Amino acid sequence: MISLIELKTGEKACIEKIIGGRRAKNRLSSLGFVRGKNIKIFRDNGGPIIIGINDDRIALGRGMASKVMVSQKGSDK
Amino acid sequence: MALLNKKNSGNLKIALAGNPNSGKTTLFNELTGSRQHVGNWPGVTVEKKVGKAFYNNKSIEVVDLPGTYSLGAYSEDEIVARDFLTSGDYDLVLDIINSSNLDRNLFFAIQLLEMGVDLIAVLNMADEAKKKGIDININKLSAELGIPVVETVAKKGEGIDSLLKKTVENKDLEVSDFKIDYGNKIESIINEIISKLDDSRISKNINKRWAAIKLIEKDPEIYERLEKEISNNLLKKLKTLVAKKELKSENSFENIIINKKYEFIDNVIEKTVTYREKKNEDKLSDKIDNVVTNKYLGIPIFLFIMWAMFKFTFTLGDPLIGYIEAFFGAIGDWVGQLLLNIGAPSIITSFIADGIIDGVGSVLVFLPNIVLLFLFIAVLEDSGYMARAAYVMDKIMTKLGLHGKSFIPMVIGFGCNVPGVMATRTLDNKKDKIVSILINPLMSCSARLPVYIVFAGALFPNNGGIVVFSLYLLGILLAVIMASVFNKFFFDGEKSDFLMELPPYRVPSVKSVFIHMWEKVSAFIKKAGTIIFSVVVLIWVLANLPVGVEYASAQSLIGRFGQLIAPIFKPLGFGSWQAASSLIFGILAKEVVVGTLGVVYSLGEGGLRTALTANFNPLAAYSFMAMVLIYTPCIATLGTIKSETNSWKWPIITAAYLFVLAWIVSFLIYQIGMLLGIGI
Repeated sequence: MISLIELKTGEKACIEKIIGGRRAKNRLSSLGFVRGKNIKIFRDNGGPIIIGINDDRIALGRGMASKVMVSQKGSDK
Repeated sequence: MALLNKKNSGNLKIALAGNPNSGKTTLFNELTGSRQHVGNWPGVTVEKKVGKAFYNNKSIEVVDLPGTYSLGAYSEDEIVARDFLTSGDYDLVLDIINSSNLDRNLFFAIQLLEMGVDLIAVLNMADEAKKKGIDININKLSAELGIPVVETVAKKGEGIDSLLKKTVENKDLEVSDFKIDYGNKIESIINEIISKLDDSRISKNINKRWAAIKLIEKDPEIYERLEKEISNNLLKKLKTLVAKKELKSENSFENIIINKKYEFIDNVIEKTVTYREKKNEDKLSDKIDNVVTNKYLGIPIFLFIMWAMFKFTFTLGDPLIGYIEAFFGAIGDWVGQLLLNIGAPSIITSFIADGIIDGVGSVLVFLPNIVLLFLFIAVLEDSGYMARAAYVMDKIMTKLGLHGKSFIPMVIGFGCNVPGVMATRTLDNKKDKIVSILINPLMSCSARLPVYIVFAGALFPNNGGIVVFSLYLLGILLAVIMASVFNKFFFDGEKSDFLMELPPYRVPSVKSVFIHMWEKVSAFIKKAGTIIFSVVVLIWVLANLPVGVEYASAQSLIGRFGQLIAPIFKPLGFGSWQAASSLIFGILAKEVVVGTLGVVYSLGEGGLRTALTANFNPLAAYSFMAMVLIYTPCIATLGTIKSETNSWKWPIITAAYLFVLAWIVSFLIYQIGMLLGIGI
């Protein structure tokens, strides 16, 4: 299990759990970041990371993104 | 059983709630035909808006709530939405759902259902979902959730009638006990809490099951709410009960509840949705994003778009300004002549021609620039680019101690600081919001432009463009400096996270762009029509008092005021009472500076240029323009800051710091210029 910010652009993963406080958990869960969801990294320029989840593109700051723990599932590139 | 106590009686009143980017505001416009802000920009509806819809000749009041992902209290948007929803001041809530994004949108819907809100689910953007191969069985979904479900395509006006019909039919809808099974462990605690609440004096308005779930989630807001409802003793007991049980659980209750909710949603989706084909991942939006959010291209593209925005605004706007000036000049002459012919007393003629017509004209003159700027911003917002720009700018803005989203209020501020300050509401973090508000007046709004144009025209005939441009840059530079100063000294430590949905790019619809633009423009016109008009009248009166004094002379009240404070501005290069009085009135509205100068030099439009050339050298003029740019913002802006921050502290701080900053900057410009012998 690694943190989402360790993934590279184009890599896919499955969300294992959300760590951190209730505020982060709440925000992330209402955006669809919950256990079992598949995600893909669309862009990581060093700032916020653009993540594909469901059919959405969501830009998450690194602090928030680091709270999403995932297991890697391969890459497009 | 409706669990929220509805206070509303009489006319049918409905509220629109839902996630950002669900097309909620578009639907609101379709329902009400009201002029509304619609933006493809998450969180664009920053306050609740009210309109009227008609069905069978009966009016329905429609409240548009801010789009939110949840009902926490993380940003003002969410608080506004939550407070309204818990108030029960409505008959029915329409939860607007983006059909292509059912699971996240349903997460919001089930939160409402658990609270006991009587709900109709509106599956909006049904066409986009179908195009993506998502087929939703509405009847099944309605059965699963136990609420009516309607399909709409708000953008095309489809399904609006049947939505209204369903709304009227279900006006007395009472959602029967909606339940998600949280599993034996949690359910037994829920029941235990409910039975304890049953014995308490908790009011009927609060859904006990919902309260129990929130207690188990350890939601601080439910504590606050229950403090007013039940004894401290009981609340403490309930808290301990939850804490004790949670110790024995390997997973936190909060996690269990969130996961169960999504399990419930997954289950509903499995039963009601069929996917015709695999989702096509390589979408056009992503291709555009590959370029627009590119590490190296992102910022140049952003800067190019900003440049294009100003080019568009001023290239197209400036010729129009001439027409408006000519128009008001002609009206003034015509009315003056007319009044003269009918033998009106000269004081009345002067009041109407010099006071009212000139005054209103001086404000409306830069309406073309405002309209064009807000039109451009509306296109950026509706197309979806604004969200990308926030993403691209986040790194730079973070270095300044701000947030990627903070640049939106800054851009809007170039049009008018009032909507600029209001746009800070979408910022989640109080610190970001306050700092963004404090620096917003440094964005040179279009009200300052006439001042620059008049001065630059008179004293910098050959390089007026560069002079005006340099003032905009000066404002941005000072905003950047002040943002880091405020962050360093006043708001150390607080950090916020970037979180933003990037909606798919859409071709903006002409209608929504115009509605969107008009909203901001009308706010400006309203301000022009009220504050500025009264100021113009006030100036005219002060210039005529005490009775018998020569209009706007040094002996008039306006002249005496000016003389009193003029010495403050002497080291800045403009110590005349005329300049001082114009600055006093400029606080009422910045564009008034030009009008006041026109009055105190008792000259018409054309004569002001000559008067300025006679009274200012280029250096002093530049120092004066910098002063107008920076010093105390107009009353309307200060009033907005007061209402946005809900305290007098921030408008007072803004007014004071900007005055001091303006004085220092103008002082440096003038004194250094003198030393170097530039522009004397």
